[in-house]
Amino acid sequence: MEQKGPANMSALRIALMAVLTAVVVVFTLIVRVPTPIKGYISLCDVIITFSAFLFGPWIAAIAGGLGTGIADLIGGYAQWAPLSFVIHGVQGLLIALIARAGVKQGVPGDAKLPMMILGGVVGMIVMAGGYYLAGGVLYGFEPALVEIPLNLIQSGVGLVLGIAVSKAVLKAYPPVRALAL
Amino acid sequence: MIEVSHLSFTYKSYAGRVNKPVFQDINLSVKQGERILILGAPDSGKSTMARILCNLVPRYIEGTLTGTIHMNDKPIQDLAPWELTNICTLVAQNPQEQLLMTTCADEVAFPLESLGVRREDLVSSVHSSLHKWGLSEMIEVNPQELSGGERKRLLVAVAEAINAPVWIMDEPFDDLDESWRTQLLQTIMHHEGTVVVFASRYLEEFRGSFSSYYLIDQGTLVKGSEEDIVIAFDKACDFQFAAHDAEILIPEKHRLQAQDLVIVHPRRSVSSTAPFTLKVPNISIESGEVVALVGPNGSGKSTLSRVLCGLDPVSQGDILYNEKPMSDKALRSRIGYLFQNPDFGIFLPTVKDELGWSLRHTSQLTTFEQEELIASSAALFHLHGEDNPTTMSYGARKHLQAAVYYVLNRPFYILDELDSGVTYAAAFEIVSLLRQRGAGIILITHDRAFANHIAERQYSIVDGVVYEREVGA
Amino acid sequence: MTTSTFVAGNGILYALDARAKLLLVLLMCVLVFFPLSQLGLWVIFLSTLLMAWRATGFRQALQPLRSIAFILIIMVLFTPITYRGGTVLIHIGDWNLVTQEALWNLSTLMARFLAITYICTLYVWTTPMADINLALRWYGLSFQAAMVLTLAFRFIPFIADSFRMIQDSHALRMSDEQSVGKSRTQQLKDAIPTVTAALVFALKSIPHVAMSLEHRGLGRSPKRSSYRQLKAKGGLFTQLLVSVIIPTVFWILFIT
Repeated sequence: MEQKGPANMSALRIALMAVLTAVVVVFTLIVRVPTPIKGYISLCDVIITFSAFLFGPWIAAIAGGLGTGIADLIGGYAQWAPLSFVIHGVQGLLIALIARAGVKQGVPGDAKLPMMILGGVVGMIVMAGGYYLAGGVLYGFEPALVEIPLNLIQSGVGLVLGIAVSKAVLKAYPPVRALAL
Repeated sequence: MIEVSHLSFTYKSYAGRVNKPVFQDINLSVKQGERILILGAPDSGKSTMARILCNLVPRYIEGTLTGTIHMNDKPIQDLAPWELTNICTLVAQNPQEQLLMTTCADEVAFPLESLGVRREDLVSSVHSSLHKWGLSEMIEVNPQELSGGERKRLLVAVAEAINAPVWIMDEPFDDLDESWRTQLLQTIMHHEGTVVVFASRYLEEFRGSFSSYYLIDQGTLVKGSEEDIVIAFDKACDFQFAAHDAEILIPEKHRLQAQDLVIVHPRRSVSSTAPFTLKVPNISIESGEVVALVGPNGSGKSTLSRVLCGLDPVSQGDILYNEKPMSDKALRSRIGYLFQNPDFGIFLPTVKDELGWSLRHTSQLTTFEQEELIASSAALFHLHGEDNPTTMSYGARKHLQAAVYYVLNRPFYILDELDSGVTYAAAFEIVSLLRQRGAGIILITHDRAFANHIAERQYSIVDGVVYEREVGA
Repeated sequence: MTTSTFVAGNGILYALDARAKLLLVLLMCVLVFFPLSQLGLWVIFLSTLLMAWRATGFRQALQPLRSIAFILIIMVLFTPITYRGGTVLIHIGDWNLVTQEALWNLSTLMARFLAITYICTLYVWTTPMADINLALRWYGLSFQAAMVLTLAFRFIPFIADSFRMIQDSHALRMSDEQSVGKSRTQQLKDAIPTVTAALVFALKSIPHVAMSLEHRGLGRSPKRSSYRQLKAKGGLFTQLLVSVIIPTVFWILFIT
């Protein structure tokens, strides 16, 4: 008699969120290219997009928000932490909601490519727009414009690589389906 | 105390072939207060069984389980794992699988908090158990900064603090120094409860200590006298693979040498903030040779290896390849480094894909020749082309790691702790297969007996300096 | 990889309770958006700078400035664009470079941004992460969420180290010819194996974490006890009161 993992299990959910958060932190802090304004552009959006495609809105929101927030704290940008938490959290949330619209809960890998791209584009707008607004309030809307191209590039790369990596992980590690909740 | 009845378990099959059962129709009866030793070769199912006894599998790793397990007359399959926290404690073989917290104190405190232990008792438990296992200084240190042996001791400290009646210990003596092994054995013997120890190395220290001896092999559990079990165990370990006697062809002779090297490594360690310096007066290896690199944990074997294969830079000196100094990048494509953990390179869906991936980019062979090479290499290393690498057993993944490099045909290989997690026979076989195409091999190990059996020469690291020594010294 | 956000030092900030400090940070960050006088904003910033100096020494206290240096420079450079109309102070021919309004605005934004930077940074420097976690729980963060936070910090060094080894492993599988002169797209394509391997590696550990959590008792229904506690010297209420009083005093002094 085959036993399926119980759905919505607290421990598995916590573990999934924590590990993905840690991966986002590592990708934000280690895989990065220094730039003048924000400090760096990183591959964190790849992981956020990946989490959104495979695991759904709440996982992606926590991984993205908490991950980038912690990365800001560790990296010496504490003032950005709450802002990154909200911006990347919403980014993960929306990418997942759009990309997985119509997909049954708990079935990773069924997101369709056009929706994934649409979700990713919305994510790009949220991310670049969010940092523009936050930057505007913090130090002026005109200087904040400078960040937009870089942020769009970062989230764009995140989308493209995120799609590629999602497919690759599903093929390389089939048990990932059991992690979906 | 523990009653296992007709237990069978098979991991879920994902791709490729259907999985064989890990074990079939196992029966085990352990009385209250007994201490039993279950011997088994690597990958024989010890860790699987340990986790099943704590009701963690198949809850978290999919598979089919039949049979019943009773602990203290309660069927454990009806219980959630957290209901077993104060009944049964698992000490995992790989501490990284169990560690949860950011300080040693929190690691000990966490299960006690779950049990609702009062704060005063909690604090004293934390201090006394950490003290007993030599970790008092590490009380606020992150377990990630501890050595392998210290992490093992931390897990044992946690088990002692919880003080559950049943202890399931999966290879607890691994990584421990002699004095700590003695203390662990004493602790096991004095524990007021039942202890099940799984081991894949029979240590002389065990002689006469346990009340029952078992062997887990080919899916069955056999009970016997101590001598019978040990003899059967040795046979089981050698039985899995036969050593290769094939001729060694050396198409081209190469020489790797380094003289007067100085390597400075910024040490990220708890006990010292000074950088770690390694001096290498002379080290050399030629095609076809097997050279051992021996030293205690933390002596710098990995540091030296990373430099030899071009991953890290040297502070002083040059590395000569065929008498010519070579750059980092060039070294990387001539010396293969097999990490102790085989999972760092795996990312493709099938064994065939993994073997073929680097070939496609680097090789001058035709597609047909490549496929031939992949197929023959897979067979040599006991792999099946359609299997999914991430769900293969640990031993199979080690073989895959070696096969990937075999296919790349590097002139030199550095094997980091090859013999951990595979049988001696399998390790010998991997070495001889890699040697077949004429490669020179540097074998890193802290098992001097293993070095003795296999190496022609040996380098030892003593206090930061590399010396050539007699094999087995 | 170090995940420590705490900077050792001395002074009153280290002695204050994490919960009271969090309230203070929140109120001060809100305060600087109120219509305060120029003097007031700069006084607030300079007080935080002085507190940083007192707590961690001069060199460390300048660190945040270094991290936002470029933003400040861009802010200065962009002054010609802001507030084009108004009293002109510097101009090149017809082109208004600097107006009084623009300078005023620049000063306000800079003081505010610097203040916020130092307020948040000081909190993180003087409060260990474990205490921040406990403070958030006191304010209502669920046990599960706090658990995610702790576990994330446990895994960051592990995944960072593994990632480096994964990168090395892939570098070793490539040959000479491949490593030279790659286009940007090729570099990105080459990132896919490393990222995939890193993710698979991380995902494989998840069932083990969950197993360990449940094995160690997560999910038991009687109430958990707690090894770590927050203790407020002089009483938490007093400290919270102080956290409210300080911003209020600044407000009274400098509100316009």
